[in-house]
Amino acid sequence: MVAFANILVGGVFHAAVLFLVAAGLQLVFGVQKIVNLACGSFYALGAYFGVSFVAYASAAGLSRWLIMPALLVAGILVGFVGPPIERLLRSVYGRDESFQLLLTFALVLMFQDVFRFVWGSNPRSLDSAYLVYGVINARGFSVPVYNLLVIAAAIATAAGFGAFLQRTNYGRILRATAENRAMAEALGVDVRRLYAVVFTIGTVLGTTAGALVVPTAAASLDMAIDFVIEAFAVVVIGGLGSMRGALAGALIVGLIRAYAIVVYPEAEVLAIYVIVIAVLLMRPAGLFGKQAS
Amino acid sequence: MRRAPLALAVLTGVIGLAALPVVTPSYYASLMIPFFGYAIALLGFNLLFGYTGLLSFGHAMFLGFGAYGAAVLVGKLGITSFEIVLLTVMLSGALVAMPIGLFCVRYVGIFFGMLTLAFGMLFYSFLFKFYHLTGGDSGMRVPRMNILGLELSQYNKIEFLAGPFYYYSLVLLIIAAVMMWRIVHSPFGLHLKAVRDNARKAEYLGVHVHRARLAAFVISAAYGAAGGAILGFRVGLADPELVYWTQSGQLVFMTVLGGFSNFFGPIIGAFAFTLLQDQLQSLTQYWRFILGAVLAVIVIAFPEGLAGLADSLRRTRAGKTA
Amino acid sequence: MSLSRRSLLKSAAAAGALAASGDVVAPAIAQNKPVRIGILAPRSGIAAAPGENGIRATQWAAERFNAAGGIAGRKIELVIEEETSPKDTIERFSKLVQQEKVDCVQGIISTGVGLALGPVVEEARALTIFWDGTTQDGVDEKIPNPRYLFRSTDNECEAVMSSLLAIKYWKGKFATVAGINPDYSYGRNNMAAFAAILNRFNIEHKIVTEQWPKVGTMDLTSHVAALKSAKPDLIFSSLLFADLPVFMKQAHAAELTKDTKLVLPAAGWQHTLMKKAFTPEGILFGHNTFYFDNPNASPLAKEFVGWYERTYKDYPEWEADRAYFAIASYKAAVEKAAAAKSGNWPSQNDVIDAMAGLSVESLGGRGAWRKDHIAEQTFVQGLTTHNNKYDFVTLGTFETMYAADLQKPPGANFWDWIKTAQFKI
Repeated sequence: MVAFANILVGGVFHAAVLFLVAAGLQLVFGVQKIVNLACGSFYALGAYFGVSFVAYASAAGLSRWLIMPALLVAGILVGFVGPPIERLLRSVYGRDESFQLLLTFALVLMFQDVFRFVWGSNPRSLDSAYLVYGVINARGFSVPVYNLLVIAAAIATAAGFGAFLQRTNYGRILRATAENRAMAEALGVDVRRLYAVVFTIGTVLGTTAGALVVPTAAASLDMAIDFVIEAFAVVVIGGLGSMRGALAGALIVGLIRAYAIVVYPEAEVLAIYVIVIAVLLMRPAGLFGKQAS
Repeated sequence: MRRAPLALAVLTGVIGLAALPVVTPSYYASLMIPFFGYAIALLGFNLLFGYTGLLSFGHAMFLGFGAYGAAVLVGKLGITSFEIVLLTVMLSGALVAMPIGLFCVRYVGIFFGMLTLAFGMLFYSFLFKFYHLTGGDSGMRVPRMNILGLELSQYNKIEFLAGPFYYYSLVLLIIAAVMMWRIVHSPFGLHLKAVRDNARKAEYLGVHVHRARLAAFVISAAYGAAGGAILGFRVGLADPELVYWTQSGQLVFMTVLGGFSNFFGPIIGAFAFTLLQDQLQSLTQYWRFILGAVLAVIVIAFPEGLAGLADSLRRTRAGKTA
Repeated sequence: MSLSRRSLLKSAAAAGALAASGDVVAPAIAQNKPVRIGILAPRSGIAAAPGENGIRATQWAAERFNAAGGIAGRKIELVIEEETSPKDTIERFSKLVQQEKVDCVQGIISTGVGLALGPVVEEARALTIFWDGTTQDGVDEKIPNPRYLFRSTDNECEAVMSSLLAIKYWKGKFATVAGINPDYSYGRNNMAAFAAILNRFNIEHKIVTEQWPKVGTMDLTSHVAALKSAKPDLIFSSLLFADLPVFMKQAHAAELTKDTKLVLPAAGWQHTLMKKAFTPEGILFGHNTFYFDNPNASPLAKEFVGWYERTYKDYPEWEADRAYFAIASYKAAVEKAAAAKSGNWPSQNDVIDAMAGLSVESLGGRGAWRKDHIAEQTFVQGLTTHNNKYDFVTLGTFETMYAADLQKPPGANFWDWIKTAQFKI
């Protein structure tokens, strides 16, 4: 029973991080129809910058208790590489979506060397400062409170996004533009500005996920390229363009991976692909996606 | 495209390639073997991308299939003829591509790209994981084979690659290109272009859209396997890294660099990329950044690639004399 | 002040044929030309950090040797290329040998790349020294009896030593064993070696779980949870990339490390990231062939560590020693062969003959080349302590063992050897 609880929490933690990045991917795809291969690079950027920011802030006297807010700030700050990158992507908007995909792939290549140039080849990490929030330890069940806080942040983001998209004016405009760009433009929406905002939100989600996860892990050169696969699996399972899909996909991937690790460790990696193919066989558009033509 | 200048350009290219081992240092000849492998694979890839409009981000899996196929056929089954290995991996690659293609061509655009990426990485995980079968991260050895029944053991592998095998690969490329030219200019090729430009309209006109796409997918897989066999031969090892998704991205890079709307674009792209990467890696340790920047510039400013550049240069010159 | 130079030399095809002939005899005029050593090391990806360690150590060694006159009077010049995938690394190797005309190639960390490159080295007849990457699987069928290739100590030496020390320190104190190892040839062989040695000494044990995280995975919380629920007395882990300190951190947070014995044969690669905050004392920690804080270290090693700390604000790990051993033994072999030719520059064959059987003092201790071109070096492992001036753990007590006692003899099969070897504990 205790073991089950440990595994569950571990899986949900992984799912929380996946959701944040996937939500960014879904938002950008839903509105702009761009699939961002550089989502892993944003994730890594947030992790690296988070380490530097917190190290700098701690040296300047920041209290240990503020490590999580500091990471949130770091993630949001570095997410503002979004606008210039969006400007770059803007030059290929009208064209075939393959070009957009390729441009994001070019970004992946460039970011690899940027990380190495700025942060070196050693992995970068924060020591266990995040344990300042304590660890819940009860008869074998243990989870750092920080992990629960990250899960809470993801839930808050999901709820916040839901409310934003459904209840606010801007959210309605966003959904309208996603449905039919030409119509929205005809109705007076400044689509260009909207795109810039949406892309930046997507980037910030990715970088913040990286920043939040870095205390429990590390920032390394490989993380950008490896992460893309999992993020894409989440998005494909959940259905491209759907926020609910991001949530469902992230939970499925996170929990099944955790379960596989305990029950059949050898299957850990293959499990994801099996799920992807199984879902697509049953529901080709993903669980919450719209049917592909 | 006018016939005479094109034929002249192609002839010049072939003569240039044939002369390369003689006029350049020996290193460049063996450097070009992967070029031949990639060029053949990309001819197939562009059938799918340029002519049918489907962007696959998992195409490297077919190259891997060819390399591992060669390793199994030569290493485990003792076949020594490269021709037999080539034909076998092409056929089996096509067979394997059928169920995958059936699944994937139901989708278009970005969905197709992501699905092919998933399948590619599935193959990668399989190769890595089932190490008793595949050698895992250590890969499988691809022993040396005979070409045209000749062992040519008087050449050590380096001399062999820079000499007989170079010309053999050049001939293979020419054969592959001629075959692809026929395919592309056949009614089937026209169907593909129709499907690419407007699938619904093509359907109304009686084209079986799914079947056409599937056929393109299968043919591209066979070409990919052939290219992979050449790569595996050159390296002497088939390893999982051949199949990682960034390698698929590199294939797309090469095609776009050369120009995907031009028949010869993929070949030009493979050549240019091979040279470019070689020179950059000696120049700086941050060569990935420069490659990424090159790709970005091409996508933004020169989407027609090098072939497109050459075309527009020709046109402006023709415009001046007209 | 780096000696690395990447130049593009144009040379006639005839010179290429000369390089392929295998016996490069430099005329007397060449005495004034530098000795060119090609370096192939990873600079990006998961092995970038050890690659960098190796490159830096090679640069330091080359500068030092040059200050003392170079190799047999000729200055050293380094040409650095990047080790990436097997296919691309073979091409960089070919460039170093055919275009740059280097006298020796040194480097290589990845096993896959090493296995692909081995036959190429022999075909190219170019003296090459691998720093690392010698795993058991497939070695014999892929590179039998090399002449031009010199390879590192077996990758399993550290596992063998850890297993022996674990038995020595903790025999009778553990009944259940768990493993968490990277899912590739190195991890698999390490774990299998550990299990085989436990069986060899008839140590009663039960393996309660084996975790195989994907190489470089950063999220190990589920693995830690699985380990916790299995309640092992001892955990064996050959994790050695960025995932190792992450595992320690997450295991510490889950209180897995409190009462469990840990055996970490390859932890030295990440030693500066194994912070005291989450790495306990008293765990078995392997530094492979170089421990930077060894009080018995030679003046040479201490000088190197001091220089590394001043220049890079960091402390070197064992890849630095592997790189140093390669260049130092090459220098020693060339000078030995030159002496035998009364000062004339030796041919490549002379150097190869001189190097087999040669012994040199490397940074981590004594090292030597066996006749079958496999290296022998000194390995150091011990129990961790927090009693130091750093923020990471070092060794409180430690032992050294020589490779001759840790790796299979020439021609033997690793798994058979374990069953019958006379281990010294």
